[in-house]
Amino acid sequence: MDQTPTITTPTAAPQAEIPNTPPSGDETVQISITLPTNAYFLSGIRDFTLTMTKNMTGFSDQWAFRFQSVVDELCNNAIEHGSALGQEIVITFIGHPQESLEIIVDDSGTGPNKYTAAEMQGIFKEQVQKVQTQFLGLRGRGLAKIVAEWTDEIKFEDSDKGGLRVRVKKYIKNP
Amino acid sequence: MTYANITIEDLASDQADKMVKIVKISGQLDESNVDEQSKTIYQLIEANPKNLYLIFDFSELEYLNSKAIGYLTDWYGKISAESGQIAISMAQENIVDILQVVGLTQLITCHVTLDEAKTAMLAS
Repeated sequence: MDQTPTITTPTAAPQAEIPNTPPSGDETVQISITLPTNAYFLSGIRDFTLTMTKNMTGFSDQWAFRFQSVVDELCNNAIEHGSALGQEIVITFIGHPQESLEIIVDDSGTGPNKYTAAEMQGIFKEQVQKVQTQFLGLRGRGLAKIVAEWTDEIKFEDSDKGGLRVRVKKYIKNP
Repeated sequence: MTYANITIEDLASDQADKMVKIVKISGQLDESNVDEQSKTIYQLIEANPKNLYLIFDFSELEYLNSKAIGYLTDWYGKISAESGQIAISMAQENIVDILQVVGLTQLITCHVTLDEAKTAMLAS
């Protein structure tokens, strides 16, 4: 008996066509990524941020590297302060090509330092003043310096799931 | 854990009490590895408490987060308090950018080449 494997092409249902091209110039792109609360995954999200910013937003390469840091710092805060081990954080990118990039990071609200949006707004304000007037030690530069300097808007919101949502936005016309 | 590696090389100096070392950091320093990697530098400072001159070769450093910057600031404080110095050489543009935004370039000189950093450190 001939045991040569045969390959047949299915002919039953037509295959759906999956687009494989970058979105058109003015199309808003929203991408959400869920990450386990583990710093191991941060390098992957940084790589994604770099590639996505370079290819889909209109921001320069310099800004792609800057958003890498912004995302890394926001995710790290969400993991370290706002979410317990074994939980998840959600990162959402909303790109308005040639206009702006919005980055939203949701923690699970289960971490050791649970703050409401109002409390976090107060802490942020305090930290921003501190970095301008004091010589900082090991910590305190992530949100108050790197994120604050490299974004145009930063908002803290209480999420429906009981966590904290940090929403930052950078406009391309405002380098 | 994100990849990072530190190698340390001695640089000969005319001054017997002056310890000059080149610290090459490769890879990425982030939350997954920075605490562990920083121990190497703290051990180096402990072993050479006075007149330690460190040239950080950042030519193969691809990323550093705010905590790594915090450690750099701490090493600067410890070393300069004991008559030593820190310099950075060959940092990539994104690294210089983040060091500038946090104000660290006002404390630590960033040299474009390793030779320039060596000359500055040996002459100081």
